[in-house]
Amino acid sequence: MKIASLSPDQAPPIGVPLRFFAMAPVFLVLAALLLATGDGNPFANTHSPALLAATHCITLGFMAMVMLGAIQQVVPVIIGSQMPSPRLVAWLTMLPLTAGAILLTTGFALSKPELLNLSWPLLGLAFLIFISASLFSLARAAAKNPTRTAILLSILSLAGAVTLGMLMARGYATGLSIPYASLATAHISLALGGGVMLLIIGVSYQVVPMFQLTPNYPKWLTTYLAPAILVALLLSLIPVLFEPAPRWPELIAEIIFWILTSCYAVITLKLQSQRRRRVPDATLSFFRLGMLALIAAALFSLASLLPTAYSDHLRMLSVLTFLLGFAMSVIQGMLYKIIPFLVWFHLFRGGVNAIKVGIPNMKEIIPERWMWWHLKLHVGTLLAVLLATRLDMAAWLVTLGLLLQGILLGCAIFTGISVYRDTLGRIEQAST
Amino acid sequence: MKTITEFMAADHVACDNEFARAEEAALANNWSVAETAFIKFRDDMAHHFKMEEEVLFPTLKSAGGPAGPVHVMLMEHAQIKELLKQMAEAVAQKNAKSYGGLSETLLIVMQQHNHKEENILYGMADDILANEREALLERMQAV
Ligand code: HEM
Ligand SMILES: [Fe+2]
Ligand SMILES: [Fe+2]
Repeated sequence: MKIASLSPDQAPPIGVPLRFFAMAPVFLVLAALLLATGDGNPFANTHSPALLAATHCITLGFMAMVMLGAIQQVVPVIIGSQMPSPRLVAWLTMLPLTAGAILLTTGFALSKPELLNLSWPLLGLAFLIFISASLFSLARAAAKNPTRTAILLSILSLAGAVTLGMLMARGYATGLSIPYASLATAHISLALGGGVMLLIIGVSYQVVPMFQLTPNYPKWLTTYLAPAILVALLLSLIPVLFEPAPRWPELIAEIIFWILTSCYAVITLKLQSQRRRRVPDATLSFFRLGMLALIAAALFSLASLLPTAYSDHLRMLSVLTFLLGFAMSVIQGMLYKIIPFLVWFHLFRGGVNAIKVGIPNMKEIIPERWMWWHLKLHVGTLLAVLLATRLDMAAWLVTLGLLLQGILLGCAIFTGISVYRDTLGRIEQAST
Repeated sequence: MKTITEFMAADHVACDNEFARAEEAALANNWSVAETAFIKFRDDMAHHFKMEEEVLFPTLKSAGGPAGPVHVMLMEHAQIKELLKQMAEAVAQKNAKSYGGLSETLLIVMQQHNHKEENILYGMADDILANEREALLERMQAV
């Protein structure tokens, strides 16, 4: 029996996820600063140091930071299995991830091998601890639902991506001669197509129906989609790793990958259009924007497979729309739902005194207007992204957009935390 | 013959629909509709809780079902009842902002709760109480 998932104290202390969430926006600001200090238009060249640095500010410092915090929160609740020593794991992942991300990105930006050489062991440590703790907890989970499968596959892909990333960083730092281009392709596919994509899919199965009262995802989809995406992804990597090989299997696998991910996006949009809860909701709008961006990323990538002069350009656009349009929209939308809920949930545990003092409801924790401003700012940033590879002006707007988003999100999260602290103080006062 | 899971999950969906109707009207400041819809929602929730608290859970417990999960469900019922009480105040004061914040909170608590019941607890009840299911469902509907 799956009794494990009903133990009362499944949720970790609120400090565990909040610590990660509070650190994440700092890296959006850092990404903007690194882009601003790069030479020329950083988006014009895939290998520009400023772009590589900013990419990892966003992927490691922002996305991985939020995802690690969210997984440590979500796995115990959805899967019904505690993480081992949640506080210790939180510190031992958050600190090395922060330090490692700063060193890696400044190492890229300043082309300093010493910094790269310090960064990869720290990042390896953070991910090793996180991955072992989550695998341990997923293995113990009694509930074998599709979300668990998707999260498991996501974590395994992430492990592969991180291993390749470490290898390349060490290679750059020490001047090893390894096939960087193939390794980078595999690294990017595993990180984005595996790690990020599958985690978002797994979480969607739970939160899309729950937040908006939509119908559930069809059963065939939740059973097969995540494994099918991973298989397509791995097949597309075989020729990369075993050169020289014919290119057509890779092409077919990549086409299948993008068809599957677009199916997910289209079905999610369709379910959301059938929602029974029809009130305006910033999280919902962020989520739908993310799905549209995912479809755009698929179209850009598919178009890049055609033999035209724009291939590289389209590939770059696809990575940018996937990262900033799809992943960042969904993650920010989720933060605006999770943080107010966590604050409310942990305050409500104050019991009778909490009710006497009066705890804020979810809309009194982060002002809703800020969320809508943020959405507009994000849409503006994304429109600039579409032109950023061509127009220097647009590249500047993307940089500015990231800076403002980091500041706004940071203010929102700190407001949430201070509402929590103030109310907790009042509850404690009432009980003495 | 419906299983307990099917019967109770359908009741959850019915309550969700009432929830959505009341919220939409309240946020539109359409208080005559909101009040009727909210009262219907609150009464249907109360009836649903009664079926669980007075019939299903005690029967499950005395048939050797696990006490821990039932205890957690009851704690969550208390949370939901508190939120419903605060929502009733918001309706009385015609305060759309306060209603919206509370209903947002209630939705997540309620959905997580229903999810756990539908995926774990009701399934246990269907297993343990298979022989007396028909009588049990009748007793539940009668409360
Ligand atoms: C231990 C952690 C990591 C290290 C050491 C690392 C290192 C690297 C290196 C050295 C490259 C350059 C490849 C090349 O073009 O030669 C790269 C590219 C890239 N990495 Fe990572 N990476 C790590 C984690 C991640 C994660 C977690 C993600 C995404 C979730 C990610 C996404 C990317 C992307 C999108 C690129 C392409 C960037 C561009 O071309 O501008 N990386 N990474
Ligand atoms: Fe219940
Ligand atoms: Fe129920």
